[in-house]
Amino acid sequence: MSILKDIFTAMRGGASEAGEAIVDANAIRILEQEIRDAETAIAKAKQSLTRLKSSEIKLKREINSLSTDYDDYEAKAIEALNVGEEALAEEVAGRLEEITVERDDKASEHSALESEVNGINKLIRSREKIIQKNKRELEKVKTIKEVQKATTSISDNVAATSSSQHRVSKALDRVKAKQQNWRDNMEAGEWMDDQEQGDDLDARLKQSGVGGSAGSKKNSILEKLKAKQKAG
Amino acid sequence: MTITLEELAFRLNDHVTDEGTSFDALLMDNGVLEVVCSNNDEFPLHLALTDTQLLAVTPLFNISEVTPSEVENLNKVLLQLAPAVPLSAFGLQDDTYILFGAMALGTSFETIVHELEVQAENTIDVLEAIQSLLA
Repeated sequence: MSILKDIFTAMRGGASEAGEAIVDANAIRILEQEIRDAETAIAKAKQSLTRLKSSEIKLKREINSLSTDYDDYEAKAIEALNVGEEALAEEVAGRLEEITVERDDKASEHSALESEVNGINKLIRSREKIIQKNKRELEKVKTIKEVQKATTSISDNVAATSSSQHRVSKALDRVKAKQQNWRDNMEAGEWMDDQEQGDDLDARLKQSGVGGSAGSKKNSILEKLKAKQKAG
Repeated sequence: MTITLEELAFRLNDHVTDEGTSFDALLMDNGVLEVVCSNNDEFPLHLALTDTQLLAVTPLFNISEVTPSEVENLNKVLLQLAPAVPLSAFGLQDDTYILFGAMALGTSFETIVHELEVQAENTIDVLEAIQSLLA
């Protein structure tokens, strides 16, 4: 089941003005129910996983202890052979056989348990996939609902003002006029900045005696006179 | 961090972008946040939240405002223009053509602001482009 297909069908059927009802309420309930079911299944699976894991740990410990026993008895059997106690060694060999059988039993039990754990993990993953998929579907429904809400409030505004023709063109003209106005202001601001900086520059030039003021001319004539006097 | 529409309104009203755009955000009765960007105060954006997204919807015009013989042409042109419009997409909600953008709920305030500014700008560009098809 796909919400998009649902929407498509509803629109084809001319239900575009049907608001929220564009998506079958039943479809939403099914998606939500599937999410709840999957969540319950995951919770249960996690419980059995805990139980299985503790059995697995116990089995592993038992197998380890049997292996230790085996090594222990094996060493003892060799020791018995070394001191010529063949009968005793044979008895130990019998014991070793018992341990081997028991250990093999436990090992096959362990691998059965392991595959059960894997199966449960797989189940959890597949349920999680369902939850994510359904949540994405529900998100589509929610999105449609919110877009509808966000548009409706403006549609009302539009409807109220669209009695006048060329509404969009007039609004565009106003926006563009404002933007032009803003650009003009910016330009004026820049011009003013330039002016202020210009004034400042003139002031500084004057202060350092550069740029043709009466004072500076007198000074330069005086310099020339001094130079003539030195030469003469 | 997940932002609420109230927080967003509060911060938007106090913000000016590098390009000098300011915002006028008002939470409406139906839970939708109306945002007027100073770079385009004729076509406000309406923001709404879902569980995972922040949606920004700008209604453009009603189908009744399109020159009747140009509706089909307009639909085609909008589909053709769509890939060229940055960060926003076209849509048709009931009889209203919309421009909309969607952001993940974790989107930073700076990114949200940028997207809103761009969408407001896109609105003017799009309307100017298709103006001749409107009645």
